[in-house]
Amino acid sequence: CDDFLNAPPQGQIGVAAVSNDPAAAQNLVTGVYNIMWEGGMHGFDYVGMTNIASDDADKGSTAADGANTYGTFDNLTMSPGVGNINNVWSTYFRAIARANQALALIPSSPAEQTVRNQLEGEVRFLRAYFYFNLVRFFGGVPLLVGVPPVEEINNPALQARASREQVYTQIISDLRFAVTNLPIKGQTATGRATKAAAMAMLAKVHLYQKNWQQVYNLTDSIIKNQAGAYSLLPNYANIWREVGANSTESIFEVQTGTNLACNAAIPIYVVSQGPRAGGKRGWADLGFGFGTPSESLLNAYEPNDQRRAASIIFINPPPMGTTLWDGYRIPSRDSVENDRYNYKAYHSRIAERNCGVNDRLPKNLRIMRLGEVLLMHAEAAVALGRNAEALADINALRSRAGLTALSAIDRERVWRERRIELALEHDRFFDLIRQEDVQPGRAVQAFAEHGKTFVKGKHEVFPIPQNQIQLSGGALTQNPGY
Amino acid sequence: QQRVSGRVVSQSDKQGLPGVNVVVKGTQTGTSTDANGQFSLTVNEGAVLQFSMIGMQTQEVPVGTQTTINVELADDAQALEEVVVVGYGTQRRRDLTGAIAQLKGEEIQRYPVQTPTQALQSKLSGVQVIASGRPNEQPQIRVRGVGSALAGVSPLYVVDGVLTDDIRNISNNDILSIEVLKDASAAIYGVRAANGVVIVTTKRGKSGTTQVQYDANFGLRQPANLVRMANRDQYISYLTDAAPNQNVNNPPLTYEGTTDWYGEALRNGFQSNNNVSVSGGGERNTFFFSAGYFTDQGVVKTNDFQRLTIRANNEIQIGPKVTFSNQLSFSRGNERGVDLGIYQNLYRAAPIVQARVGDRFGNTSAFGNVGNALLSLDARNQRIINDRVQGNLALEYRPAEWLTLRSAFNTDLIFNRDRTYNRAFRNDAVTFISAGGNQQQINSSLALNEGRSLRYIIDNTATVNRTFGRSNFTFLLGSVTERFNSSFISGSRINIPNDPNQWYLGLGDPNLQLSNNAGGDLQTRQSFVTRATFSLADKYLFNASLRADGSSKFSERWGYFPTIGAGWVISEEAFMQDQSLLDFLKFRASWGILGNDVIASNAYLLTAAVNIPYFFNNTLSLGSAIQDIKDQQLKWERTEQFDVGLEFTLLNNRLSGELDYYNKTTRNALAFQIIPAIFGDPDNQYLTNIASFRNRGLELVLNWRETMTNGFGYSLGGNMTINRNQLVGLNGGQALLAGGVGQQGFVTRTDNGQPVGSFYVLNAIGVFQSQSEIDGAPVFGNRASVRPGDLRYEDVNGDGTITADDRIYTGSYQPKLYYGINLGLNYLGFDLTADVYGNAGNKVYNGKRAFRFENTDNIEAAYADARWTATRPSTTDPRVITSATPASTYFVESGSFVRLNNLTLGYTLPATLMQKARFRTARIYLTAQNLFTIQQFSGFSPELPGGPLDAGIELNSYPTVRTFAVGLNVGF
Repeated sequence: CDDFLNAPPQGQIGVAAVSNDPAAAQNLVTGVYNIMWEGGMHGFDYVGMTNIASDDADKGSTAADGANTYGTFDNLTMSPGVGNINNVWSTYFRAIARANQALALIPSSPAEQTVRNQLEGEVRFLRAYFYFNLVRFFGGVPLLVGVPPVEEINNPALQARASREQVYTQIISDLRFAVTNLPIKGQTATGRATKAAAMAMLAKVHLYQKNWQQVYNLTDSIIKNQAGAYSLLPNYANIWREVGANSTESIFEVQTGTNLACNAAIPIYVVSQGPRAGGKRGWADLGFGFGTPSESLLNAYEPNDQRRAASIIFINPPPMGTTLWDGYRIPSRDSVENDRYNYKAYHSRIAERNCGVNDRLPKNLRIMRLGEVLLMHAEAAVALGRNAEALADINALRSRAGLTALSAIDRERVWRERRIELALEHDRFFDLIRQEDVQPGRAVQAFAEHGKTFVKGKHEVFPIPQNQIQLSGGALTQNPGY
Repeated sequence: QQRVSGRVVSQSDKQGLPGVNVVVKGTQTGTSTDANGQFSLTVNEGAVLQFSMIGMQTQEVPVGTQTTINVELADDAQALEEVVVVGYGTQRRRDLTGAIAQLKGEEIQRYPVQTPTQALQSKLSGVQVIASGRPNEQPQIRVRGVGSALAGVSPLYVVDGVLTDDIRNISNNDILSIEVLKDASAAIYGVRAANGVVIVTTKRGKSGTTQVQYDANFGLRQPANLVRMANRDQYISYLTDAAPNQNVNNPPLTYEGTTDWYGEALRNGFQSNNNVSVSGGGERNTFFFSAGYFTDQGVVKTNDFQRLTIRANNEIQIGPKVTFSNQLSFSRGNERGVDLGIYQNLYRAAPIVQARVGDRFGNTSAFGNVGNALLSLDARNQRIINDRVQGNLALEYRPAEWLTLRSAFNTDLIFNRDRTYNRAFRNDAVTFISAGGNQQQINSSLALNEGRSLRYIIDNTATVNRTFGRSNFTFLLGSVTERFNSSFISGSRINIPNDPNQWYLGLGDPNLQLSNNAGGDLQTRQSFVTRATFSLADKYLFNASLRADGSSKFSERWGYFPTIGAGWVISEEAFMQDQSLLDFLKFRASWGILGNDVIASNAYLLTAAVNIPYFFNNTLSLGSAIQDIKDQQLKWERTEQFDVGLEFTLLNNRLSGELDYYNKTTRNALAFQIIPAIFGDPDNQYLTNIASFRNRGLELVLNWRETMTNGFGYSLGGNMTINRNQLVGLNGGQALLAGGVGQQGFVTRTDNGQPVGSFYVLNAIGVFQSQSEIDGAPVFGNRASVRPGDLRYEDVNGDGTITADDRIYTGSYQPKLYYGINLGLNYLGFDLTADVYGNAGNKVYNGKRAFRFENTDNIEAAYADARWTATRPSTTDPRVITSATPASTYFVESGSFVRLNNLTLGYTLPATLMQKARFRTARIYLTAQNLFTIQQFSGFSPELPGGPLDAGIELNSYPTVRTFAVGLNVGF
């Protein structure tokens, strides 16, 4: 009679279904990729806690708009009660929970071992990426690598923060598994994590750990095309256009597209950073105008650097309007709210695919590309005394940008190149903190040049969301200074 | 030896009963009665004759020296010692140890209403019935308060052994009786009994002459109580304050009159009910066939409902000890539905816009107002068909007189189809008197939903019944196996021709918009029941039962639901024999555990969200994710109920009454608990068993009945229930917000220490009369926009400003008291009955008044006259109510009311006349349902059905209706 009482869910995939259907595990992995579309992961909140928090960008928009949220990121005055931080925290942990659920069930799939290994590799790559962002945002965080039983939900041990080192150990372990088990580009569908993606991500993690030799080895293999064929895209500006999606330079990016529901994109990623009507207005604007390129970034470009015009939309003074690459004409400054906007976040409504919903314009987010691998390789090479190799890396990027080749190289030159090459690509805030670790005083100085006060021992990380601390019953502790 | 003869007749109609078994007790000697009920038999001295027949109570008569013995056999159910259905068996009413209320079929049939539940209102203590006037609406029943927030709160219905949650398929005329198990007696239904159990038993035939019965009534329904809206002048005057920028001199059409929008959309609806039954039986069988046709047009134009019911209840004696029976019914409901949203639009629509001229509609939306409700009604065609086959097949075997073995197969098969077509129309001069506005439907659309469900229940019971002198012992043992399976398929398309013959999905445009869906549900239960009752010398009563329920809905499958009860018939005691005041006095007490499993089938199981998109190789790929945290130990809600009662009759059985006290505590009630985000739950909360509720109350029933020697009879009855509901513990769960009223947000909050669904709003303490009053006073919102004439709110927390933190609890929709008064008179063939129903102490929220879409929404005439103006300052009613007016006590009104539920005057033709016409009975009557209501509420009706957390809010409610009908009962 216990058999009779077993009534499986109808029309729903239960946990048990995974062990019968080879596609079920595959679908769960797809579900982990899907969470990269969440706003709290890569959307407006993420823009705020990366670009706007860094010296690359200002809050933008009107003075009052988002002053209590994005404004506090811009000024490094954020408090633990800011909702965006809670949203980012929650979304990354939701992503980790999805990954853990998938990892718990993949072993019971009837799929072949190699398939299971690849799926596990993909999920562990994604989980590592999620934890890497979390540890850079918040420092040590609760480390969940399995699905906790529901009875354990109030167990303080689960809610307590692991150390930063413990989190990094887990990230490295996940990425090593991914490096071993993922196929190279071309042997798997575009958009899936590849061996090179895992190697590049692992290299970046080692970069934060100052493990120069590992950084060098991993990036060197990628550059030598030992993990798939990669090359720099000749036209820098094209990297962020539809023509540059999944290009030869791309190592990992968030895939988007058009579907019937028109939800296959990161919500308001494009529109939050789009040019905003102001002054005389009189036009249907392209966005909210947040994350505007800063004076500090502007000053960092060398003359004639083609990357400047490719990264920044400059709003021309009256009477000239600004014509974008797709022919779209933005009115002159007297009808526009801000001086500059992020060109890398622009998605053409007229020349690139979309399904008409401006809040969900399908722009792939570039997470890792060969350009950054060259920068990591160069930095490791300098650290290891291989300056010639570093010079070759940097000059490859400079040559694409229309700049003259350097003849000498040092860490400072690599970092300057890194800032320009990766401007507004959500890396700068984390990178400054990392540089501070290598060369103390660096972040303080950079933020001072940006007109903001960076407090050492506090601003390396964001505050832990206040309500999460409350829900944990105090098991979760606040970061120093908040 | 002696020869004995006589005639056996039915007690109810004095007709001869053919085929009655007449047996000398303890022997095989016997005979049966002839077609006229006559019998003749030779017996020994001292013999006892036993008269028995299906459907009748067995009677024993000692012969003694008699040669003529005439016997009247009573119907089983109309026995002197009333029998009450208690679930898997019956009990004599006097032997009950629990609180079980009963209503007879004849009481139910008197009312021109669709469902028996409506007829229960005002009749039973502890049973609150909330109904609106919508055709085919299922009235809500609350037995002894509301004991849950997130699981079900409606009772379980049991129709001839079929467990269901909807009895709209049952014709009132087919019902023999309804029993409501209010206390722990319900534990015999275990995990589904916490909200009480309503047992419906349908009629059976009686052996004897074939009887044909025709019952009908025809009537008119009209809106019972409408709210008078502002006229043209009042409205324009209001607009100058509420929407000063609106140009009222240039609306879409310059119309000089006032449009009465309710008058335009409502009508008098016709209703009718026709039922024919044929019943009877022979020696070895009885039958009852019936067919009924019920129609109700409803008072909103385009609304209508028809129901066909067919029933066949048969009983066949296969052998001396084996009986087969069936109770089977088919019903078809056919409804043209209306979108209740239009009702709200009627309330809002500007009276200065014409409703309709010829085929063209007034364009209210062009005036910055809501859409034209008449057009909405006209453009939408929803047809809901519901076919249902319900019933049981049973085999009964009585190997010995004291032992009954019964197996029954009960089934309930439902097919339903819901098809909605919305025709296309533009905001142009073809549709409207003047073009413009935003009310248009560019594409026609068709939505279709077809579903089926099958429930079967197999009961196997063994019942032992032994009588020793005046003591009786019964023992029941049984198993119940149940399986429920449902599935639906639905789809929608656009651009379908406006022709009912083309309303199929295949004709829609597949490229533009399509949705297809399908789903299902599966539940199984396995249960074991046992019950023992014992009555000693008719004085001491004892009852105990236990049900073990295994349910597929929970990981911990098995639950155990015991009850025990005891009674003491004090009037049987020797010391009571000397008094003559009391005829009967019983004290009883019961205790038990009841469950509530109205929880989604797989609420405890981790399931994957499906069709989550991502792109690989630039191709859409659909994934899945397991993300909701589930309480894998999720359990049924557990209600412990204690009841003590006193039953009495006195003054020669003229006055009878019943007094009960109950205390129901629900533990393990569902609530949401917030969990840390690290667990990854999308809404960061999960459903678990942590809350507790309590319902405590008193019930009193008093009935006076007397027949005078001159034939004048009258009865006066009353019942009242006092209930106190409270959420006694949230235990870490979060307070539940519900009852969304437009821009005001949630207006109810269910929190610790408060009744479920309490209104939680700002306290409006008057109206600002001058700017100087405003200056320095705490205000809501932007101080600069507060003007004299605006509502003033209490600064409860004293922080100098009015915010959401200043809200207070102001009562709930649950009445503190509800009561019924029933009056009956009969004299010389005339009968007059009146039923009054009322409740007190509940609050309602005037949501329709609070919910302002636009500042141009119309207002009520009473408010137009009462509102604050500079020249006519009011201390109670504000200048304007706009979309910025927050939820406050200004919108909370008393829900108390008293209503004359039913008034019926009937005349039964004299027997002499009828015999000539060969009628058995003939009665004609006039009846009025819901004749008048005395209420304090300014809205349509304070009787507002709703969920446990958000009832009592008047938003889109259907107008309550008043019915006048003439009826006929003819039997031959």
